[in-house]
Amino acid sequence: MAAHHSDPVLHPEVQQASFTGYTVGFVMSLLLLLAALLLTEQHALPPLKLLGAISALAMVALFAQCFLFFGLNIALHNIWKSVSLVLTVPLFILTIGLTVWMFHQLADLTMLPGMQVMPGMPGMTMQPTLLQ
Amino acid sequence: MDGNIIRDGKMPPLWHYGHEEHDVISAKTFGFWLYMLSDALLFAGLFAAYAVLDHAMNMAGGPVEAQVVHPIAATWQTLAVLSSVFAYSLATVALKRGSRAGLIAGMAVAIVLGAVFIGLELADFASLVHTGATPDTSGFLSAFFVLIASHGLHMAFGLLWMLVMLVQVLRFGLSTAVVAQLLNLRLFWQFQASVWVCVYVFVYLKGTI
Repeated sequence: MAAHHSDPVLHPEVQQASFTGYTVGFVMSLLLLLAALLLTEQHALPPLKLLGAISALAMVALFAQCFLFFGLNIALHNIWKSVSLVLTVPLFILTIGLTVWMFHQLADLTMLPGMQVMPGMPGMTMQPTLLQ
Repeated sequence: MDGNIIRDGKMPPLWHYGHEEHDVISAKTFGFWLYMLSDALLFAGLFAAYAVLDHAMNMAGGPVEAQVVHPIAATWQTLAVLSSVFAYSLATVALKRGSRAGLIAGMAVAIVLGAVFIGLELADFASLVHTGATPDTSGFLSAFFVLIASHGLHMAFGLLWMLVMLVQVLRFGLSTAVVAQLLNLRLFWQFQASVWVCVYVFVYLKGTI
């Protein structure tokens, strides 16, 4: 690794800043989120498909940010950042995916039919009764 | 690396004193990257809790998701946080050119936009509390407030850090320590945009599906 004792501004971490990259990253993030908003507001798809579609848009935005904002790549200077992220991704999947799956299975298996609040009925329990 | 060079006919010790200087900036940015990943795991835990508690069983007679989230209002927050991140990113492009004026201008814009974001969030919280949707109403609302406020607190500490760096740039100039901090702050700030993508889509948009 080359040492840059003289001028910290010449360090590769500083020099990797890119006007084009940041601009594209910003515009992409914004457009993808606005597309997700539009789909949701218009209820363009049935609920489950809509959730899938906006999740996909969010994933694309996150990927774009990884490359364009964080500057992740497989160049020698950045490889360990990319590797540590790749090794952390399974932890995200386990933490969120497994937890959600487990609790929803548990709820379906253990809740008595009579006790279940009907899902998909917003407004049913509208008033915060304890606080009125 | 010249760790294996034989000097004066003797093998070097396993580590030797007075070795070449460390690459301080690379070491600091990689260390901060690892911290950022651990911070991301903290958010993963909060998202998992939110996803579990966002269930009809956990509303406790309080308002449901669709009554709490306002996607259009949150879109203004999206605009504010993404623009703030963009402004700070451009500030580091100015840093790359060695332009201190550009750096300071970018940071100033980022601070203003970040403050706008926090203002919008506080107004949203105030209106929720006003309608009786307080964190102690239900498990769902507890998870909601903790998740959103965690991101908001990150933003607030980012702003504080930015103000500190503004002073440091003016007082110490672009020294190695200051530049390393500026790079870490860029990573921290850009990370808030990534977290907000998840908050916006999986809390605000999903809430109205």
